[in-house]
Amino acid sequence: MKKQLGFYVDAKRCIGCFACAMACKNQYHQASGVVWRQVYPLKEEIYPHHERAFYSLSCNHCEHPVCMEVCPASAYTKREQDGVVMHHQERCIGCGNCVRSCPYGAPRFNPVTERAEKCSLCWQRLDAGIDPACVKSCPTNALRLINLATFNEPNAVQFPPGYPHMSRLNPSTRFRQPELPKIIKPEDQQ
Amino acid sequence: MIPSMELPLVFFTLLSQLAIGLTLLYALRTAGPSVQPEASAKTQWFVFAGILAFSLIVSLTHLGHPLLAPRAVLNLSTAWLSWEILIFILLFALMAATAYLGVTRRFVWLTAATGFVALFVQGMVYSPSSFPAIHNVLPFAFFLVTAVILGAGTSAWFAPQDTQPLLRWILVGALSAGLLLFLVAPCVWLSGGIVMRLTGLAYLASPLYWAHIVLGLAVPLAVILVSRRIPSWLPILLLAGALCGRVVFYLDTIHTGVNIGGLQ
Amino acid sequence: MSKITKQEIERILENPVSRRSFLGGLLATGALVILPSCRLLRPGTVDTGQVWEGGYQTFRNACSRNCYDTCSIVSYVKNGVLKFVEGAPESSFTAGGLCVKGNSYVRRVYSPDRIKYPMEQQGRGTGKWKRLSWDEAMDKIARKILEIKARDGSLLGLALSKYSGSFGITHYGVEGMMSSLGYTTRLVGTPCWPAGMDAQNFDMGNMLCNDPEDLPLARYMIVWGANPAWCSVHSMKFLYAAQEAGAKLVVVDPVFTQTAAKSDEYVQVRTGEDGALALGMCRHILDRSLYDKEWVTAHSIGFDEFAAYLREHVTIEWAAQKSGVPASHIAAIAEEFAQARPATIWIGYGMQRHVNGGASVRILDALVAMTGNIGKPGGGARYAQMQTWGFNYHAKNQKQPESSKGWIGASGPKGEFDFSGVKENVKYADRTININKTAQEILDTKDPQVRMLWVACKNILSQDFDRPKMLKAFNKLEMVVVADQFFNQTVEQADIVLPVTTFFEEWNVNASYWHYWLSLNEQAVKPLHEAKSDIEIAAALSKRMNELAPGSCTFPTTVDTKDWTAQEFNKKELDLFGISSWEELRKGPVKAKLTSSAPWSDGVFATPSKKYEFHSDLCAKNGHDALVMYKEGRPAYDKLRLLTPHSKFGINSQFQNLDWMADFNSEPYVYIHPRTAALRGIGHGDAVRVFNKVGEVRLAAQLTADVPPDTLLMYEGWYKGLAFNCQNLVDDLSSDMGSFKTGAPGVAIHDQFADVVRA
Repeated sequence: MKKQLGFYVDAKRCIGCFACAMACKNQYHQASGVVWRQVYPLKEEIYPHHERAFYSLSCNHCEHPVCMEVCPASAYTKREQDGVVMHHQERCIGCGNCVRSCPYGAPRFNPVTERAEKCSLCWQRLDAGIDPACVKSCPTNALRLINLATFNEPNAVQFPPGYPHMSRLNPSTRFRQPELPKIIKPEDQQ
Repeated sequence: MIPSMELPLVFFTLLSQLAIGLTLLYALRTAGPSVQPEASAKTQWFVFAGILAFSLIVSLTHLGHPLLAPRAVLNLSTAWLSWEILIFILLFALMAATAYLGVTRRFVWLTAATGFVALFVQGMVYSPSSFPAIHNVLPFAFFLVTAVILGAGTSAWFAPQDTQPLLRWILVGALSAGLLLFLVAPCVWLSGGIVMRLTGLAYLASPLYWAHIVLGLAVPLAVILVSRRIPSWLPILLLAGALCGRVVFYLDTIHTGVNIGGLQ
Repeated sequence: MSKITKQEIERILENPVSRRSFLGGLLATGALVILPSCRLLRPGTVDTGQVWEGGYQTFRNACSRNCYDTCSIVSYVKNGVLKFVEGAPESSFTAGGLCVKGNSYVRRVYSPDRIKYPMEQQGRGTGKWKRLSWDEAMDKIARKILEIKARDGSLLGLALSKYSGSFGITHYGVEGMMSSLGYTTRLVGTPCWPAGMDAQNFDMGNMLCNDPEDLPLARYMIVWGANPAWCSVHSMKFLYAAQEAGAKLVVVDPVFTQTAAKSDEYVQVRTGEDGALALGMCRHILDRSLYDKEWVTAHSIGFDEFAAYLREHVTIEWAAQKSGVPASHIAAIAEEFAQARPATIWIGYGMQRHVNGGASVRILDALVAMTGNIGKPGGGARYAQMQTWGFNYHAKNQKQPESSKGWIGASGPKGEFDFSGVKENVKYADRTININKTAQEILDTKDPQVRMLWVACKNILSQDFDRPKMLKAFNKLEMVVVADQFFNQTVEQADIVLPVTTFFEEWNVNASYWHYWLSLNEQAVKPLHEAKSDIEIAAALSKRMNELAPGSCTFPTTVDTKDWTAQEFNKKELDLFGISSWEELRKGPVKAKLTSSAPWSDGVFATPSKKYEFHSDLCAKNGHDALVMYKEGRPAYDKLRLLTPHSKFGINSQFQNLDWMADFNSEPYVYIHPRTAALRGIGHGDAVRVFNKVGEVRLAAQLTADVPPDTLLMYEGWYKGLAFNCQNLVDDLSSDMGSFKTGAPGVAIHDQFADVVRA
């Protein structure tokens, strides 16, 4: 399999601290309201506590990216060498089709530049040999950069509950599920 | 994705569907073997072309960079949207040519057929997998029904008297189909996955949805069943109702991004 | 907008086509119908983004917030502009990454909301600000100070409220500025950790903690009343490492916190009854003879007395009844804790913000001590340390002008960073009043009253207790000067505001009270606008003071932050870190050279007896029980408990005001148990009013079973543009301990009560 970079979201280690989300803002200074990496709390139907487990998601750099498929202006390309899905600002006409079509909500509309934009997997940093900003910042090493060609984590899943199941796109993100502690409460609150 | 009324798309789709509807209905009205072009045919078709042109200009206001609009046809290999641009430009050319060359039967049916295909392409553009409720044939169905309703209703303003009964029957049929379609779809969504269900609930809770159903479909149907003709004020109601319904289509169809972290 | 739709939709899910949602839908769509899109007519705009380009100039910085982690930062600068920040890779604690707050620093430095120049408010609270030049500002302030001096014959009418808003050693130059003017009134003490600090001092003779990086050596860890997943994110990796090596992590907390979610076992304890739970464990350990007899005999005094107390006054059943933890479980974790080698307790500051906080810390210390875990790597009663803070405090130690008059009598410590020791028989001294009762003290203090207040590194009106009383107290003040970066709730009530630098715009040095790294703070960019650092402000004031009245201020009239940073270092501090010059820190942060990762490893304590003191005469001398023992909590004064701990999105009142932070967290909530909410007809997302004898707060509610049914939970912080302030619900009742080491008792922040109704 050829090199395909992606993110490993270890929801067991993740504490939902948002350092990754802000590290991205710190690196790219997106306009207010434009967020490339969002930390989604798992609803209580999946993790039975209010906002205590999270999936940190940006772009999934899919094998068959729907953004690239539906962009009328061919403003998206997928890099040969590592599978990074890139958005080219200068080619974008701001039609919003990618924003509507990505089931994961990865591309965001920038109301200042009036173009779409999304996680670029920090390709400029990658090319310089350093980790993406979000990965570097994670204090618990819960967000990791992986190469699907060599990634071998038996507990990892591609479509955990709470993550849209879009097999046709074949997103490159992998997950480890969060865990629950034993809970001791007063008898009247069991 | 932030929910938005997408007004430029609302007006683009409504107006372009009105134009297509008008050409479809002209074709149907003049379908008989010995039927001549209508007296005002040339004028009609220039107006149809004009409405389509206007809708395309309105669609430019949707773009962040309208001056780069020509780039929109660059991805014919995978993007339905590129095809939509192309086919609508072709459609405009056909409508204008039909008007200019004298509204011949051949051009009328070619344009009508192209219009039908354009509706299909438009349906494909607005049914990505990110909107589970409409990731199917429903957008095409909505657009087709809307085109026929608006086309038939608006045609009644200027169509010859002897075609009014035909228009009326077509409108009755289209309104009935529309009522069925727009009432049943949200109910079917209620038994789907969570995002589909949310869409159904959002539609049913929306005053604009009910405005479309009542004022845009039910009342017009009742009116033309009771009176044996299409009153001149009806197209306005049909248009207003369709507008409400189209806003609901863009604003209240729920995107999967809304439910990340919840059971799908 | 997507959030509004989500909320609407959640409500729809509960009540499908209800009238409420129909009308709501009507309003929403009605409101939205209005705006046409005129994109063609909008002028082109500048790109707000940037990308990584390489070729940056890098600087070493030290986060100056009051935070366990005190990160070592690397700043990336291009063309004199700070582009982005990262954690220093050299520090095994920071390990290359910052937290959500640290990562927002660039937005803070360049925030359009920053105060740019000195300003004078034309009437407090009016928002009508008039720009002043620095000269004008210093002139007004200097004249007021001289006026006070002339009127009262001293500067006791000038008070300083300062705490931990900006750490960085040269910021003690604010205290130094006060001293350089004369003898003034100081708000002393700390809202933060004083009860526990005193407790550890009574028990062991000093407050010292294990190196947190030795946590992976622990076999059993109890995080007790602390939430490192929110407040010390860099420590989590060490807890995880211990778990991966087979250690058990237990979290004891009234609330199911984020840390609890990562533990092996979460134990819900009744708020304020941590002491009872721990005593129950001690009794059981005693009964089963699982305590470390050898250690206790060799290294402690008073254990027999403690054992007798346990046998007479403590049973597991009593502990269960008090703490709410089932008796069988108390026995189980007691046995696990005592038999793990080593075991450790991370004692949280939240745990001691109670009327019995100090007593509870003494009990937790005792639990660790009796099981022989003090002085063991991976063990310890972890609270905090100030070992790495052995600076010169040159900025702080300024001399009063010759003829100064002040307070007569002994002067206690002026806060925990006053290492000067208690002075007896000094002719004059500063007058000290309790920082935790700022409002009451301003109201009560007389002869002379507090006329003028200087506020630095503190946000009184966002953070101090009993906000309604504070507003009354401010009415007594003739002049309020605030040195700050943003128009926060204190600046709203100021007369003069002075813009200060962020640490990127000045030199400084910073240590941590948790880990053992030392970080230099280089100046990465020039000060923005007309901002000055605290010592530059002091110098400017001194210049004007001496122009108006020669000799009235001894603070040097010119300062250089780099030079003043250099002057903070001494050989002892350099030796501790194994460096010969502070300049070596320019290559990166350095870790203290510890003989052991555990303090007290030699079993020799700093107490009068040189042993661990279960019985402490010093403690009794300070007005508490000599023997470690249970102390009752505060009786309820309203129907439900109210907890106001820290949010992960801010440090007290900092960061939440930034638009970048609002992108991820936009409004405060009160968290209510579903049963409690149901009894009051409150649904998820409803607007509610929380109220008690102090005041009220209006905000939206969220329902969760992660808070006890008898408790309301809201996180403190300042949201830009919102009147939200939880200090409208918190009174200033003192905690038991704190005066010994900090000059004033702490405050029972988590012993508050309130009720809630739908608004």
